[in-house]
Amino acid sequence: MGSSAVRVRGLWKRFGEQVAVAGVDLELPAGKFIGLVGPNGAGKTTTLSMVTGLLRPDHGTVEVVGHDVWRDPVEVKARIGVLPEGLRLFERLSGRELLAYSGRLRGLPGAEVDKRATQLLDVLDLAGAQHKLVVDYSTGMRKKIGLAAALLHNPEVLFLDEPFEGVDPVSAQTIRGVLERYTASGATVVFSSHVMELVESLCDWVAVMAAGRIRATGTLAEVRGDAPSLQQAFLQLVGAQSRDAGSDLDWLGGGSR
Amino acid sequence: MSAPAITPVFVRLKLSLLRGGLRQSGGRKAAYIASAVSALLFAALQLIGLIALRGHAHADAVVVLAVAVLGLGWAVMPLFFPSGDETLDPTRLVMLPLRPRPLVRALLTASLVGIGPLFTLCLLIGSVVAVARGGAAFAVGVVAVVLALLVCVALARAVAAANVRLLTSRKGRDLAVLSGLVIAIGAQVVNFGLQRLGASGLGELDPAADVLRWVPPASAVGAVHAVGEGSYGLAAAQLALTAGALVALLAVWSRHLTRLMTSPDGSTLPTAGTAARQRTSTGLGRLLPSGRTGTVMERSLRYVWRDPKTKAAWVTSLAIGLIVPVFNAWQGTGSVYFACFAAGMLGIQMYNQFGQDTSAFWMVAMTISSARDAYVELRARALALLLITLPYATLVTVVTTALLGDWERLPEALGLSFALLGAMLATGAWTSARFPYSIPQEGYKNVAPGQTGLAWISIFGGMIAAALLCAPVIALTIWLNVSAWGGDWTWLLFPVGSVYGAVLTAAGLRLAAPRTARRLPEILGAVSKG
Repeated sequence: MGSSAVRVRGLWKRFGEQVAVAGVDLELPAGKFIGLVGPNGAGKTTTLSMVTGLLRPDHGTVEVVGHDVWRDPVEVKARIGVLPEGLRLFERLSGRELLAYSGRLRGLPGAEVDKRATQLLDVLDLAGAQHKLVVDYSTGMRKKIGLAAALLHNPEVLFLDEPFEGVDPVSAQTIRGVLERYTASGATVVFSSHVMELVESLCDWVAVMAAGRIRATGTLAEVRGDAPSLQQAFLQLVGAQSRDAGSDLDWLGGGSR
Repeated sequence: MSAPAITPVFVRLKLSLLRGGLRQSGGRKAAYIASAVSALLFAALQLIGLIALRGHAHADAVVVLAVAVLGLGWAVMPLFFPSGDETLDPTRLVMLPLRPRPLVRALLTASLVGIGPLFTLCLLIGSVVAVARGGAAFAVGVVAVVLALLVCVALARAVAAANVRLLTSRKGRDLAVLSGLVIAIGAQVVNFGLQRLGASGLGELDPAADVLRWVPPASAVGAVHAVGEGSYGLAAAQLALTAGALVALLAVWSRHLTRLMTSPDGSTLPTAGTAARQRTSTGLGRLLPSGRTGTVMERSLRYVWRDPKTKAAWVTSLAIGLIVPVFNAWQGTGSVYFACFAAGMLGIQMYNQFGQDTSAFWMVAMTISSARDAYVELRARALALLLITLPYATLVTVVTTALLGDWERLPEALGLSFALLGAMLATGAWTSARFPYSIPQEGYKNVAPGQTGLAWISIFGGMIAAALLCAPVIALTIWLNVSAWGGDWTWLLFPVGSVYGAVLTAAGLRLAAPRTARRLPEILGAVSKG
């Protein structure tokens, strides 16, 4: 158990007729930078929501650092940090107020929250905008303040849903730096993405998801196998062989109109 | 391209936009046609009304006031309904090679097309007919109508151009959310004013009209009246004032237009230089208790002020809670018991607590792991509410009592108010956990599509339950008031009502907390649809 950060057994979720997650079994090792990859609609967000206790599964169990998410929320919620996708923050607070709110809500002493918030704002390049309301932040700034709020209580496992979506290269590099430093200390990061290059360059462990199921798991090398890149391996795994585009769109480009 | 050619282009653009209103989906198209028809009907009615007013002793005052209100309407309309006229935003034309003068001319002409200007024209013609006496007055009237119409249109354009940064920004959208409120409260004030006029006659208007007849665009109508009276000098001065105002407005508009078209817009300006003013930790934060209680209270109170939806809801509650008992008492028709309205209206704010959070509720959900956490969260929200509600309900009750001079009933009115407030907090906490629904952040709707039933159950079911919970205190009040010796004991209702309200609140929070803790994912799902 010691080496497992997250253990998922038989996880199912239906929304009406649509099966979003169809029996996921997953064991994510602790202390790794883990990428959950898959095309849009693969069930990544639904899975992460259920793992973090924000969405109730139809069936299945989830354990995070050895505690059941639904039966033992006290132990789990204190140990995880979350950056969901598609949910708002308390946007009428300034960046600093949001961190103060979030840290104190988690029961940290006020002075400690303020100290950590100052450092996080600094490292994430948000010090200049700390007194602006979050509603006026850009996408990259929102992701960064969300990340700061998720890190503030020093969680053991961090779940990030599409942390790089819509983020400019400078902010992406900053986020990356912070996450690398965080995993180097032995903590676990689980993040979802559909950008293979990003996953390939960041992660040391990968789970590939498609159509609500896990298609492959393992270290980067294991999942990649003989394929030249993760992108190629991924396309084979999800069954999307690149079509020969030669016959279609043959009018496109080439000067003649 | 020669300069005069762009005027017809803009007029055609405006006509296309008007026609575009008809090309929307069924419901919106019906609403568009209905509003246009009702505006035209209303225009026709007031035209008939104004013509009927002709010869009335105070017709002049009424007309001047009506035109002044119309002018005010044109001035504030672009602030509250920025999307009402898409040609109001000149930054859409930034990429076109246009010179300021022809552009102003073209935009001004285009502004004259539409239902608003038609409505204004009807009102102005009616006003002139109502006050003009003699051929000369009608001749001046024609000039006055044209001038006043142009002043109205130029006023709207100048205000829009001067505030276009604001209107296209987040602050402008926040302002638009509050516009419904301004109209609601304005309607209350107009209603109250009309009641007073009904009581004491149109003569009340004369002092106001004496000032306003010198304020454009009302000064144009003032001139028509002056000519009828034979004061030609006065009329000339009022007409000149109107024309001067038009020239000044056009100049202001043109200057803003030039600046807008030639300087970078807000999205490309560096934001660091305009960073919001330094917000230091407020004094309030230090006064509140530490831990989750103080943290949640501080956030709730900040949202009352900063979140436009929450602010609109609070201002509505505060205003209605004050207007109903106090205005009624003022007119001598009220009762001390009406003061309970304040407590009732403010208690509604406890309803759908988590819906007010929107999907940001996940941040709360991530930190609630036991019924105890949920209890502290709900209690803090109730405390934040009480911080405003308790003094306000007390104040409204005392003011109502003072206006009625019915001091003997103050203790029982306070007792009833607090009992009702307690019951509203209790049922509010419970329905927040049981029947949460989304509040869309954009637009005027307060319930997400498909959740209307849920909202009705939550609010009306809760209010009925609150009334039933209060029944013992109400029964006690009635009993003490009708029994022969009860009059000496009605003071008892104050402590009894207060304690009863407090007990209800505590019980409601205790019941709601475990339910909240159990249903976190369901609540998050319900409040994330906005």
